[in-house]
Amino acid sequence: MTNKNSKSKIPNLLLPWLDPLAITAWGILMLRYWLTNKLNLLIHPNYIWFVVVTGISFIIIGFFKMQELWQRRRRDVTPNTQHISLFPPGWGSVLLLTTAILGFIITPQVFASDKALQRGVTADLLGSTRVKPQAFRVTVRPEERSLVDWVRTVNVYPEPDAYTGQKVKVEGFVIHPPDIGKEYLFLARFVLTCCAADAYPVGLPVKLPNNQEAYSPDTWLEVEGQMVTENLAGKRQLTIAATSLKKIPQPQNPYSY
Amino acid sequence: MNQLNNGFTIFLSLLVEAMPFLLLGVLFSSLLLFFVDERKLVEKMPKNPLLGALVGSMIGFLFPVCECGNVPVARRFLIQGVPTPVAIGFLLAAPTINPIVIWSTWTAFRDQPEIVVLRVVFSLAIATIIGFVFSFQKDLNPILQPAIARYMKFNPPAQPQTKRRGKRYEVQQQETIPNLLQSGTYILGGKAGIPLRIDPNLVPPTLMSNSDKPLAAKLRLVVDNSIQELRELGGVMILGSAIAAAIQVLAPRELILSLGAGPITSIVVMLILAVVVSICSTVDSFFALSFASTFSSGSLLAFLVFGPMIDIKSVGLMLSIFKPKTIFYLFAIAAQLTFVFTLFLNSHVF
Repeated sequence: MTNKNSKSKIPNLLLPWLDPLAITAWGILMLRYWLTNKLNLLIHPNYIWFVVVTGISFIIIGFFKMQELWQRRRRDVTPNTQHISLFPPGWGSVLLLTTAILGFIITPQVFASDKALQRGVTADLLGSTRVKPQAFRVTVRPEERSLVDWVRTVNVYPEPDAYTGQKVKVEGFVIHPPDIGKEYLFLARFVLTCCAADAYPVGLPVKLPNNQEAYSPDTWLEVEGQMVTENLAGKRQLTIAATSLKKIPQPQNPYSY
Repeated sequence: MNQLNNGFTIFLSLLVEAMPFLLLGVLFSSLLLFFVDERKLVEKMPKNPLLGALVGSMIGFLFPVCECGNVPVARRFLIQGVPTPVAIGFLLAAPTINPIVIWSTWTAFRDQPEIVVLRVVFSLAIATIIGFVFSFQKDLNPILQPAIARYMKFNPPAQPQTKRRGKRYEVQQQETIPNLLQSGTYILGGKAGIPLRIDPNLVPPTLMSNSDKPLAAKLRLVVDNSIQELRELGGVMILGSAIAAAIQVLAPRELILSLGAGPITSIVVMLILAVVVSICSTVDSFFALSFASTFSSGSLLAFLVFGPMIDIKSVGLMLSIFKPKTIFYLFAIAAQLTFVFTLFLNSHVF
């Protein structure tokens, strides 16, 4: 009987500490992502300050509660039962704490070609309706357009022939879609509107002087060349005819916005 | 392995983006719970059923509570004699018509502002219609939970008035019923010698005497309430984000594309998801966002409008107000209206 009593007392002593612990852990995790520049991989830069403030608030709330618990530890703490919950006590904090710990162990990674293929990069990628031009600048010289600028421009005026002969200099990573020939590859970037959950790939096909085998998927390339129109997978497509392909390291901030 | 890491990255990004909004929503609703005097709000309710339902739906904007908070507040509204259409309008719309929710929806759907606007308009319309429908139920006994019905019988709320009588008459109606004529348990010699009413089934203990507490104690209650809600809603949010990430990574692309593109199937799928996931309204737009590229805009709206109205977690709470039959009707009408509205969008607008 006494044994049973002491058993049920332990979770009662630990449970109140679980909440502030979980909340503090999340606060530390968010600040850690910020300090290690990992927040870039997760959310749009506009919201970084928001996450930082939340992280600090979590730590303050957590410490406030822990301090209070520490001061009251000798007294009987009556659990607050009036809050109606669907799940048994403690499950929420355990879940929060577990995810925070997983977050410390597993590093988020930049999405790569497999993800792009899964999200459906095909030759008709340019048809993506989500890429709306944020600003339309006529004065931009073609070779100064980024990959995303190109896709946006082509979305506004989709006739590939209109761009023939224009100079191109863009950066992106390599994808090998199954439905285009060996002398092509796809140069892509992920665009983020809000967070990694809505990252979607945009890109352009590149016509290579040699075989695509020379450039393995996920390699970052700086491609220079000229725009041409090619027939890819049965569709007329604006394509970069590459004159130079240079391998570059993955940029600090791999996403476009 | 890469799939797993992609899934985890999506999962984490949903959580990291949603946490600030969750914190804000929780803090805001906790603060309001402890600092806003509902009774003053109650006095100003219009009695006309349609107007009442509309006003009730819009109070959410002044009283931004998450799903967890709206049910107890709606219950207190009913007990304090607020007309049914106002209370039901509030119950259904408050989790959506709420500055924090609107902001988070805008954060998620910056490139589709129509989703943000339509979410508010549809929620308002549906909550008002349902509130209006329920105004035809003059006798509340068949729809209310027996304990509440009994309470209302012994403590009749102010009689419904016609709109024309105006405000002055309403104020006159706010005469206080002598405390001891009400049913319940009392402690004699409360504050200023007035008998204190104790009825734990109807008034949550922490909320009973809020105005008496010093500021420091109130603040501690705010922190405690925030931590509780963070824990509860955070847990649900983690489950919801995990489901979203798993669907994105594991579900075959062809299946999602075929389901998500159909004008009817996409809405049905999202309505079912809304029921299953029942994620908090301050963060559910991020959940919907992960389907943005594959599902029709109408179906995303269906999720965003219906999701906050129904919530597995709050059904238990709702059972403390209504009979199960009433809750079933509420959800069935809400689901049908959402379906009709979003189907119209899918087939005629988007």
